Amino acid sequence: MAKLEVIDLHVEVTDEEKQTSKEILKGVDLTMNTGEIHAIMGPNGTGKSTLSETIMGRSAYHVTQGDILLNGESIVEMPVDERARKGLFLGMQYPAEIQGVTNAEFLRAAINARRPEDNQISVMDFLKELDKNLGILDMSESMTERYLNEGFSGGEKKRNEILQLMMIKPSFALLDEIDSGLDIDALQVVSKGVNSMRGDNFGSLIITHYQRLLNYIVPDVVHVMMGGRIVKTGDASLAKELEKEGYAGLRDEYDLDVALVDEN
Amino acid sequence: MDLVKDQIETDELVNAAKLNGEPSWFVNMRLHAAKQMNDLKMPLVQRFDYRDWRYTADAKLQWETSSLLNEDMGQKSDSDISIVQVGQTTVQVKLPADLQQKGVILTDIFSAIKNYPDLVQKYLMTKAITAEDNRLASYHLAYLNSGIFLYIPENVVIKEPIEAKLVQDSTKTNPFISHVLIVAEAGSEVAFTQHLTTQGEKQNEANCMVEILAAQDSQVKFSSVDELGANTLAYLERRAYVERNATVDWAMGILNEGNTIGDFNANLIGDGAQTDAKVIAISSHSQRLGINTGVTNRGKHSVGNILQRGVILEKSELVFNGIGNIIHGASGAKAEQENRILMMSSEAHGNANPILLIDENDVLAGHAASVGQVDQQQLYYLMSRGIDCETAERLVIRGFLGAVLSAIPAKAVRQQLIGTIERKLENGQ
Ligand SMILES: Nc1ncnc2c1ncn2[C@@H]1O[C@H](COP(=O)(O)OP(=O)(O)OP(=O)(O)O)[C@@H](O)[C@H]1O
Ligand SMILES: [Mg+2]
Repeated sequence: MAKLEVIDLHVEVTDEEKQTSKEILKGVDLTMNTGEIHAIMGPNGTGKSTLSETIMGRSAYHVTQGDILLNGESIVEMPVDERARKGLFLGMQYPAEIQGVTNAEFLRAAINARRPEDNQISVMDFLKELDKNLGILDMSESMTERYLNEGFSGGEKKRNEILQLMMIKPSFALLDEIDSGLDIDALQVVSKGVNSMRGDNFGSLIITHYQRLLNYIVPDVVHVMMGGRIVKTGDASLAKELEKEGYAGLRDEYDLDVALVDEN
Repeated sequence: MDLVKDQIETDELVNAAKLNGEPSWFVNMRLHAAKQMNDLKMPLVQRFDYRDWRYTADAKLQWETSSLLNEDMGQKSDSDISIVQVGQTTVQVKLPADLQQKGVILTDIFSAIKNYPDLVQKYLMTKAITAEDNRLASYHLAYLNSGIFLYIPENVVIKEPIEAKLVQDSTKTNPFISHVLIVAEAGSEVAFTQHLTTQGEKQNEANCMVEILAAQDSQVKFSSVDELGANTLAYLERRAYVERNATVDWAMGILNEGNTIGDFNANLIGDGAQTDAKVIAISSHSQRLGINTGVTNRGKHSVGNILQRGVILEKSELVFNGIGNIIHGASGAKAEQENRILMMSSEAHGNANPILLIDENDVLAGHAASVGQVDQQQLYYLMSRGIDCETAERLVIRGFLGAVLSAIPAKAVRQQLIGTIERKLENGQ
């Protein structure tokens, strides 16, 4: 079993052009274990992506206070690739495109990166695993021979993120809006992929705006994030409640100083 | 210069040439070149200052047998048609009997000067390159000490690529001055691949030229992997003289470890002549690379394409000049070029310059150029999947070079280039 802990996390982001810093996360606490699916919901611009990117280690985000522990070990100073090899995965809201590197080649490199030099995955095993996962995701084999994300449609990119997840098999997957831009069928397919990972050795933090995704991937815990903090935590029913009532009620209940889009 | 010293140098040159059994017409060419050398300018590489490079320091003709010959250092070629030279010595020539019967010649340059004087006299530094071009061309002719002659008679089509391996012997101090002369007669076809490497650590100069004379309707595909050593100061000049409806394609990987100037040009003399130049260059450490890749459109409806991709590592510098020269009268000519550079470090220097000299209205010419830093977003993405920074960089670089690599038709050349690129990147990171 693995454990991911976020403790009193404060994060600043520096705007390179304007040379200014802004505090985005203002004390986030969150603990998750493998075997659990957590969902985070919250208004636009509240810091959900910032949280996931900070856990993964993107350099623009600076931890000014607090800590992130993976199995009790602080990862705040660790480079991105090392965090990944220790079991973290981030399904990105906007995956990069890389010309000249095929999907298949990339997947093998990623799998082998976490295996010792003398125990690299065999071509047969790789292809078997790839075929199985392509089947679950209803993806054609030709996608794997294309360059990584290059010219992929929005939906194809999302599927490709889940394919990577299934091939790499991390302990924790942070999934940032994997449902955005997906049609109804694709939403089911992607959910099927994530659900196929469920088990004692897998945990996921799912960022979404829509209750619908959580009908397919039923979370054990739902958090609401507002103004750079987690303001409420509950079970799956919390998401349904939010869908009905929006964020304004919560804000007033907790007396939060947060501007919501529909009030501007 | 004082006269006495001049005379001594001239005598030395004549004696060395005689020692090599050279005919007097060739010795005279050498002498003429040696005399005019210092009055000529160095080659122009725009936006690249190499004033303090000592290119002609070693002005001496000196013969020697390489001590590397006794060692088997993988200097053999597995190709059916091939030539291997180590230093000044030709260690292997393979030319199938049927091609010999058809009149194909593949031999070292000095044997050619002795055995085929008419052919060599007609083509060696007369059309594609002349000694008058610049100081380094004169120096080259005056002190030439190795090389290859390839002759393909009319309408002979050589299906298999010809492989040439040229090994610079830097176990001793002696410049490597090598000339590859390729004459493709009308309607002939040939693919020629050459690989330049260095053995030994001595500081030496390499002045390596390739001349291609493509008569009408001929097709020449030239590819090269340049992998000269860190202590070699290299001047690479390659020029093609392309007649009516002939094609000369270049695919070149400039992967030397030392300071290098590359000067490449296809002169599209005839109507409908074509060229396609693909160049990859990688600079690393504190290396400096200045590369001119040019096309001269003279013939009507001649077509030239230049595609260059460069990667700059560490504190190195790379300048790509794409030179498109369209001469008055070359109506219907086409000239396209794309020069792109990827900088892997903030201490690197890069320049990609399209230089267009167009003296004709009825043409189609286009260019694109860019110098950019490596995309941090891409690196982050790859690393977030557990791939370490160096491997991630190599993947991004491979992707960047992919546009040129995938356009190289010969798979063997592509593989060799990819292998050398990986090696160079590993050393450079
Ligand atoms: N790299 C960055 N540079 C500058 N500002 C940033 C950067 N990343 C995030 N921010 C700012 O931080 C705040 C939080 O952004 P974040 O992307 O974390 O929000 P979010 O909760 O994921 O929103 P959404 O639901 O719209 O995806 C926003 O005001 C955003 O503009
Ligand atoms: Mg977001």
